[in-house]
Amino acid sequence: MITGAILTIPPVAFILTPIIKTDVLGDSDVSEQWVKVGHLSEIPKDEPKDFTIQFPITQSYGSKGIQKESGVSNSDYTVRNAVWMSWRSPTGKAQESEPPSFAESLKAGDSISQSQSKEAEKKLNVLSSSCAHLGCPVRWLITEGEGEFLCPCHGGLYDSNGDYVGGPPPRGMYRYTYEVRQDGNVYVKHEFNIKPGIPGISTQQPYVI
Amino acid sequence: MIGRIRTQTSEASKLIVDWMEHRTGIVTMLEHFLYEPVPKRGAWIYTLGSAVLGLISLQFLTGILLLFYYVPTTTEAWNSVYYIMNDAVFGQLIRGLHYWSANFLMAAIGLHMAQVFFSGGYKAPRELNWLVGVILLLLVVGLSFTGYLLRWDQDGFWASVVGIKIGSYSPFVGSYITHFLLGGDVIGPATLSRFFAIHVWLLPATIAPFIGIHLYLLRRHGVFGSDFEYTERLTKLHEQQRLEEYAGYELDEDGQSDRE
Repeated sequence: MITGAILTIPPVAFILTPIIKTDVLGDSDVSEQWVKVGHLSEIPKDEPKDFTIQFPITQSYGSKGIQKESGVSNSDYTVRNAVWMSWRSPTGKAQESEPPSFAESLKAGDSISQSQSKEAEKKLNVLSSSCAHLGCPVRWLITEGEGEFLCPCHGGLYDSNGDYVGGPPPRGMYRYTYEVRQDGNVYVKHEFNIKPGIPGISTQQPYVI
Repeated sequence: MIGRIRTQTSEASKLIVDWMEHRTGIVTMLEHFLYEPVPKRGAWIYTLGSAVLGLISLQFLTGILLLFYYVPTTTEAWNSVYYIMNDAVFGQLIRGLHYWSANFLMAAIGLHMAQVFFSGGYKAPRELNWLVGVILLLLVVGLSFTGYLLRWDQDGFWASVVGIKIGSYSPFVGSYITHFLLGGDVIGPATLSRFFAIHVWLLPATIAPFIGIHLYLLRRHGVFGSDFEYTERLTKLHEQQRLEEYAGYELDEDGQSDRE
């Protein structure tokens, strides 16, 4: 019995390290920092725009501490995400979106006041490009004057707010935790609007992003 | 002169063979392994299993060769595959063989299973060999899945994301499966490392003994379709048909209402 435990537990626990770290201890490979996405003036009035961002990750040998220890670091390990930003539209149609009143006159690099950033936060969609079905990157496609987000893998469809329209996804697109700062830029964290799970007991989505 | 050399060599080789046979029994073993009576009827269809075995052997051999140049890290994986395809001598051939025999392997397995299924080759006493075959199928599917990511190109990357996310829908254990495969909570260097380990060591090492068991069970019961077994089953079938026919007549005699 004890011999059996000595022989099985270490190798099994060894290969299950990621489960122990993520599900039991609740650790994440992605750093919790805010990452700049882009300036409000870059978001067009009538369609969503995609931005590429990178979150530093500390997975296995990509860990910062290990690279510092060895002195060997030929790359910064990151996970690249695409973010779709659009102005919220009450009908879900991109042409009928309602940008804040100051957005029209905003130029690249302009600062905004605190009340303006609050207003922008209310009217902004900050969506993950990862399809809620099986994680393929969605793209904005314009058909017959209207547009929708289409997933190339299995045809999931979302409107310009990222809400579910059709296809296999069980829900709308994932929304980032975001804030609009007074330099006029949008910042996101690697966090999404999902039901929080209990580490080690219940499950949560998304798992792959 | 030449005649003498010929007799001498043949005597010497006979001596070596006898010596080996005496100590290892290798000649009887080879005879036992190589000579197996197969049914005359539809002989070609019985080569499907051998085709699968041949393709898997090819996978092992070309896979070992690819390991000489492949580097399983996020920064170098794609570059090393590019090197194999463009700079390594016969690299395109070796990787092409690995790629295409993997594709044909799936097709050959499908045909092999269909042949066994439609000929009823899974019936007693060969049920366990069918089960072992299904385990082999699942292992090959696992090998195809993990091998796809190792290229670390857009195709393999997104196919693996989709595959891993399919696993995430499993009830209760979804997040465990996902985090086990990812090696963390996002796809990254750990994912490639473990897919490499699973593809190159874990699954091949698991599949080898199961192939052994599959072949052992095949040899123990022989290929289904020998004249004896076949005619026996046909007789049984005819017997059953006759009985059903008689049962029909008897019903007719009792059930007068049918006639009038």
